[in-house]
Amino acid sequence: MTVKVLGLSGSPHRHGNTETLLDAFLDGAGEAGGETEKVILKDLSYTPCRGCNACHKDGVCVVTDDAITLIDRIFTVDCLAVSSPIYTMGITAELKGLIDRAQYIWARKFILKNLFFTNEHIANHKGIFISTAGLSWDNVFDAAFPAVTAFFNTLGFEYYDNIIANDMDRYKGIRGHPSALNNAREKGRKVIRVLESSRDATDYQ
Amino acid sequence: MKVLAFSGSPRRGGNSETLLDWVLSAMGKEEGVVIEKIPLTEANVNPCRGCNACETLNRCVQRDGMDVLHDKIIDADCIILAAPIFCMGICAQAKALIDRFQVFRSRKFVLKLPVVPPERKGKRLGIFLSTAGQNWDHVFQGAVPSVKCFFHVIDVRDKDIHYLMVNGVDEKGAILAHPTAREDAERLGREVIAELRKRLEQ
Repeated sequence: MTVKVLGLSGSPHRHGNTETLLDAFLDGAGEAGGETEKVILKDLSYTPCRGCNACHKDGVCVVTDDAITLIDRIFTVDCLAVSSPIYTMGITAELKGLIDRAQYIWARKFILKNLFFTNEHIANHKGIFISTAGLSWDNVFDAAFPAVTAFFNTLGFEYYDNIIANDMDRYKGIRGHPSALNNAREKGRKVIRVLESSRDATDYQ
Repeated sequence: MKVLAFSGSPRRGGNSETLLDWVLSAMGKEEGVVIEKIPLTEANVNPCRGCNACETLNRCVQRDGMDVLHDKIIDADCIILAAPIFCMGICAQAKALIDRFQVFRSRKFVLKLPVVPPERKGKRLGIFLSTAGQNWDHVFQGAVPSVKCFFHVIDVRDKDIHYLMVNGVDEKGAILAHPTAREDAERLGREVIAELRKRLEQ
C-alpha cells in the first residue's frame, strides 16, 4: 500500500520559507512513491481550544469545526509533516491553535483511557517538524519542540525528525540557503523508504 | 502608576486568571495604582500575518483590538501577562498577542526608534503568571522564551521580568487549594508596586 504523507503549513502567508521547505520535503516523498497532500492551516476555519475540559468527560470536543475534520484526516496518514515558521521564539498562533485542539485525543488516552497506540503503530507513523527562523541563534527552535512533541505523542506518531533552517534573514530566504531544500527533499525520499520497510517488518511478524 | 494586565486564558475565572486577580487585588490596595485588566477573550486580537510590513510602516496593517491596546502597552508602567500552558506551550490566544508585538520589535530593532520615551526607559516592570495541569518542572520551558521576547521588545529588561508559575493545577478552581500560590501572588503584587514606586520617584 502507498505511504500517505500529510503536510500541514502553519504559516499565515503563502509560499514563504517554511512552506517552500515543506514543499521540498513533500516533493521528495512524492518522488519516492508516497502519496502526498498539503493542508494550509490559514485557509481552514477553526478556533483555538477553549480550555473548557468538557472532553475530559466524554473524549469529544464541543466545538465542531475544521480542526476536528483535520485531526480525523491525520489519523488516516502514515507520515505527518507539521510546519511553522518561528515567531517570537515559538510556533505560530495558527499551529498552536490546532495543537491545543487535540486535547480531546489526549483526554481519550490519559483520562478516559479508551484510546491506545501500540509501539508498532507508533513506529509505523512518523512525525516530522519543519521550520525556519530569521534569527541565527542555535536555540531559536528550542521552545517550539515541546508543543510539537506533545502533538505527535498525543496523535500516536513517532517524533521522527526535524527539518529546520535558521538564519533566514542572512540567507535572504530559504532559496539562498546552501543545503536546506536538498536536505528536505532527501529526507522526504528517506521517510518513505523507512516507512515501507518498517511496515514490511511488521507484516512479516 | 499604571498597570496593564492581560488575561490570556480562554477559560474565564480559571487558574491563571485567579492567580492574576490575586496579584491585582494586592496591587489595588496600594496607593496611586490604576489597574486595567484585559481578558483576551474579549480583546479581538488576531494572529500576526507575518507580512513584515511593520518593518517599513512602523505600524501594523491589521485593524483590530490591537489598535486600542497599542497605546495602553506603551503608557503602562507594569505589564502583566497571565496565560495557562496548553500542550507544553503558552495557549494559542496568548501566542497571538505575543506575535502581534512584532510591531514593537520592528520599531526597536529594525527602524531603531524608541518604544517608550527615553525618561521611562529601564523603569518598566513585567510579570508573567502561568499555570499548568502537568506537575513536571519543565512544563513552562516552552513558554518562557516567547514571554521574554514579549517583554524585551516593549522595553522591559530581562532582569525586570518577574515570574510566578504554578504547576499541577488543571481543573477550574484547583489553584484555590494550592498551599502557597495566593500568598506568593499577593506578595509579588506588593513587591512590584514598591519597586515601581521607587523607580518612578527617582
